[in-house]
Amino acid sequence: MSIFTPTNQIRLTNVAVVRMKKAGKRFEIACYKNKVIEWRNKVETDIDEVLQTHTVFTNVSKGQVAKKDDLEHAFSTGDQTEICKQILTKGELQVSEKERSTQLESTFRDIATTVADKTVNPETKRPYTVGVIEKAMKDMHFSVKPNRNPKQQALEVVKKLKETMEIERAQMRLKIILPQREAKKLKDKVKEISSVIESEHWDGDLEIVCLIDPGCYRQMDELVRTSTKAKGSLEVLSLKNIAEGDDRLE
Amino acid sequence: MKMSPCEAYTHLQRILEEVNAITGELFTSDMMEQWACTSGNDERQHDAEVQIDQVFDWSNTGLNDIDDSHLYFSPDQGNVIFASAINGWGFGIKHFARIYAKKLGMKEAVLQKTLWGDFYLNAKTKRICKNAQNKGKKSLFVQFVLENIWAVHDAVVTKKDKEMTAKIVKSLCLEVPARDMRHADPHVQLRAIFDQWLPLSPAVLGMVCEKLPSPLDIGERRVEKLMCSHGQSLDTMPEATQKLKQDFLQCSAGDAAPVIVYVSKMVSVERKCLPEFKQRSLTQEELSLRRELARERHAERLRMQNQDETTDVLPESIGSPLYNGDTSETGGKSEATDGNVFIAFARIFSGTLRPGQELYVLGPKHNPRKALEGTEVVEAASDVYSLESNKHITVCTIQQLYLMMGKELESLNEVPAGNVIGIAGLGNHVLKSATISSTIACPAFTDMYMTAAPIVRVALEPKHSSQMSQLVQGMKLLNQADPCVQILVQETGEHILVTAGEVHLKRCLDDLEERYAKISLDVSAPIVPFRETIIPPPQLDVVNELVDNTSKQPVVRLNYSEEESQAEQKQEWVEMKTRNGICTIRIRAIPLPENVTKLLDDNADLVKTLVKCSNFKQGERKDSFELSTDMRSQLQELKHKLEHFFAENDSEKWEGVVDQIWAFGPKGNGPNIFLNRIPGFSHPSVWQCLGSTVSQSAQSAEFRLLKVHCSSMVNGFQLATLAGPLCEEPMMGVCFALESCKLQADSSQSSSTTDCKVTADDVICPVSCGDEITETCATVQDSNVLTADKKSSSNSATSCTVTVAALMPDTQPNSEHEAPSLVQVKQQIFGPFSGQLMSIVKESCRRAFQCHPQRLKTAMYSCVILTTAEVLGRLYGVLSKRHGRIISEEMKEGSQMFDITAVLPVAESFGFAEEIRKKTSGLAMPQLVYSHWEVVDMDPFWVPTTDEELLHYGEKADSENQARKYMNSIRRRKGLKIQEKIIEHGEKQRTLGRNK
Repeated sequence: MSIFTPTNQIRLTNVAVVRMKKAGKRFEIACYKNKVIEWRNKVETDIDEVLQTHTVFTNVSKGQVAKKDDLEHAFSTGDQTEICKQILTKGELQVSEKERSTQLESTFRDIATTVADKTVNPETKRPYTVGVIEKAMKDMHFSVKPNRNPKQQALEVVKKLKETMEIERAQMRLKIILPQREAKKLKDKVKEISSVIESEHWDGDLEIVCLIDPGCYRQMDELVRTSTKAKGSLEVLSLKNIAEGDDRLE
Repeated sequence: MKMSPCEAYTHLQRILEEVNAITGELFTSDMMEQWACTSGNDERQHDAEVQIDQVFDWSNTGLNDIDDSHLYFSPDQGNVIFASAINGWGFGIKHFARIYAKKLGMKEAVLQKTLWGDFYLNAKTKRICKNAQNKGKKSLFVQFVLENIWAVHDAVVTKKDKEMTAKIVKSLCLEVPARDMRHADPHVQLRAIFDQWLPLSPAVLGMVCEKLPSPLDIGERRVEKLMCSHGQSLDTMPEATQKLKQDFLQCSAGDAAPVIVYVSKMVSVERKCLPEFKQRSLTQEELSLRRELARERHAERLRMQNQDETTDVLPESIGSPLYNGDTSETGGKSEATDGNVFIAFARIFSGTLRPGQELYVLGPKHNPRKALEGTEVVEAASDVYSLESNKHITVCTIQQLYLMMGKELESLNEVPAGNVIGIAGLGNHVLKSATISSTIACPAFTDMYMTAAPIVRVALEPKHSSQMSQLVQGMKLLNQADPCVQILVQETGEHILVTAGEVHLKRCLDDLEERYAKISLDVSAPIVPFRETIIPPPQLDVVNELVDNTSKQPVVRLNYSEEESQAEQKQEWVEMKTRNGICTIRIRAIPLPENVTKLLDDNADLVKTLVKCSNFKQGERKDSFELSTDMRSQLQELKHKLEHFFAENDSEKWEGVVDQIWAFGPKGNGPNIFLNRIPGFSHPSVWQCLGSTVSQSAQSAEFRLLKVHCSSMVNGFQLATLAGPLCEEPMMGVCFALESCKLQADSSQSSSTTDCKVTADDVICPVSCGDEITETCATVQDSNVLTADKKSSSNSATSCTVTVAALMPDTQPNSEHEAPSLVQVKQQIFGPFSGQLMSIVKESCRRAFQCHPQRLKTAMYSCVILTTAEVLGRLYGVLSKRHGRIISEEMKEGSQMFDITAVLPVAESFGFAEEIRKKTSGLAMPQLVYSHWEVVDMDPFWVPTTDEELLHYGEKADSENQARKYMNSIRRRKGLKIQEKIIEHGEKQRTLGRNK
């Protein structure tokens, strides 16, 4: 009788395998699904909730247990639980369904929150709510890339959203003080970078309050610092130029 | 009818008594509040609807003017109408008194007095005697009134006796149309009879005319109250205004009298309902005119036909232009019929209104004094939307006047004073209510008194994000149409709709979706703001045991490893280096005393101006911004108060703190303070503009450099206070003291190896996670791939240590080989120094914050509930379920009502009004007003540790910890990491394979 008849066939359904290669050998441990990430995030503290068994395998699905000598050699300890913990933290695993979905969802939210935080409705100078942004992101079929920084993705989202709705990055308000000598020369450059000049004051030195796109901050900073030889100064008055306070719509 | 006349009589009597009792109660409680004078002319209407049997709804409608002398409803005073809406009859005692006075030959006045009450008619003596009930006789009312009605009803409906009916009709001398009498349904017959005998509408109308005060009787006090809105007395008003009072009292309709109209409400009417657009039934004259025209045309045609034989002119050519003109006109009209028109529901107090008049529209905040002094310039042809906030006058032209008859509108050419009318053409001039006058001396009338303050808040969003502007437009229209609605745009960008109740909300939403905005909407609970704060370490733990200092509970943090947090636990300050190792700062967080926080919160505007002017001073432009003396004294006061409060709390700890204040945050005016406690470094404090002298001593080079960078430090502080570590909500009541800041002007001194360590350290803790500037810089610049990589790895935070280990070899050779040019390299790698400084200040603020017991602060509503004693228990149930706290409970004098004051977290208030109304069967009326911020007295990270706590709460205390629940819900909403398990028990997952 073949060993692969259904009656004695053992299926691994609730098992997540975590693998690690060390000292030229492959080691695997059998864990419960959806639990390994929690362990890594230190949300789950009970090791028995994570591990199916404390034994270390060379192949979980075949049920081949790792040899003691190999373990000693690779991990320089014989304590199986210790080794399991090491593999848990450092090994590679297939992220299971629920873990992935929660991660994607939370990243999606994170991106939406960041976008809502950084942008305004140019008509009202008020931010959009996260709900609106989320909806718009879904409408344009945005898919989250799990291995990329949510902030970078958020910046991309802003660019894409501009095509479908009225949205702008919230601008920074800067105060720039330029010394008299360089002022005339630099004024045009400053104007080029900034989108709106709010006020200009000649008082010996030139003082400009302007709004710029946050992406241009570095450019502006460099301009002011290098070309005035650290005599000019740049001050951030507000990071986001948004209408403040509650407003009665009437 | 199942009830006999006698029973009905006692029943009616009881209803009246009940109504009177309620009126009396209201009146006495009014008296208690010294309110009696204002209610003098109020119309009150009580409908006590009583179901006698399944067939008939009786309604006893009493209309009464509550006066001191005629306070109660009493039929013999003639202020009660007995009526049935179903059968369409109604009468007062007077009607019957008149009828029977003739019949019995008695005086009408006597009958009127005796018809209601305990009187009976002695048939033999024909005299009216008292005490009918005691003697077992029928009272007059029963005998004369009810029995007759019963008889009619009996004959028509119950027995369907045609003969009897005919007899009754005859005896009552009525002329009932034969068609109605033949009708199969007895109710129609009944209705026909009663319509003739005791018609409802004249009875009610007569009563209204008789009992309600005419506009001429308008009381002097009421006029004054109307005219003086905001607690001023009339004497303080300008002379011209005082003169107006006379016109008011006279209520004259003459042309000379100034026009005063009060618009109390804007009614939205569909354009096609307007009488201009209705197909009017033609009057006799018009008909004849048309006939004439037609005849002429006909004659013309005939003549043409005669000529036709000679000329080739088509006969239609003359008729057609007329015809064409007609169609084009109607076409234009039908185009205009789409959409809604706002009609102002208004009352004319004085003067006469005609279409085409040009009048001033005065907004609710209009002040006649200012207007007369000429400070306000009247802008003609502007509308209210373009009006600046301090102007309240527009000029409008009355387009049309309407008589409002229920749904119907009737066009009018002229309306004299005293009438209630509809005015078209004010849609752009009036928001909700306004005063219209021919003189600007007229004061704005007080707003309508709203009995039900709006309480149910929801946030609205369009289904499709591109329809935002339609939503806003629709909400504006709704706001105009409904006086009970409030519409807000919050700082978060949410559009909030505040309505009086759930039913009202439903109606508003329907209106918005179908009439005003015409888009589909998403309705959700509004986002509830929270604040983060720290508190001094508590002395007692949760089960009221003294906290043992030696075995301090480890504070769990979200982002840091255990050792790090433990280390920081012991010291109360945090020291950090910038990435390039140039600057080291040390920051300590201190909880601010409660009253200081409150003071700062209350005076946010003041603080804002303070900061603004101190900013200007720094820019050394003394001439451009000079504080007004008023403002200066206010600021001085604020400073003294602050000093006082600090001294009150702990004078040693807070010594000289007020002068050390460097900045407020977030946004420059929040309730958090940034202190400058660097020994020897004197930075101009915020109070500089008050003239408090700060000695500008010669400072060392290091400090001068520091001064250049102080703005980025302040910005770092602002960023930190804007988003706290608990759930990225703003901080509140936290003081950060910058205790030292070491700048190494020449950074090559620091050895390369230590530098490298620093960078590695910094990568471990996700320093610049939220830092916008460095982040964007990193993404923009190509040369910074390395940094970007590092950041992304630290952000993913799953395998921090691994990546750092991997990166270490990368950075090390770098620093070893290029030691001389290290500074430049670093400058480029880590972005501008100001950005770095900002990010470490921010990060160290956050960490310093975490060294203390952290708490959430939630906004609280103060909730006033008026309720009866019966539902008190259930009311308390609802309140405690939602973590509300009762503050006071008082019995209202002179009534059965309780006045309850409670506080309720805003987070729990969604659906509160509905629940409380349900649970108390509508007997409790809550009103919510925002009151203050309150610390949720629970550590969001608390877990039971001591034996007692474990005994009390068990292993998991999730259900108990409100703060944690709030925190997690916010974090989840924002997509931050939550310490929650996806799966509670690994073993209990479903084990379904793919091919099984």
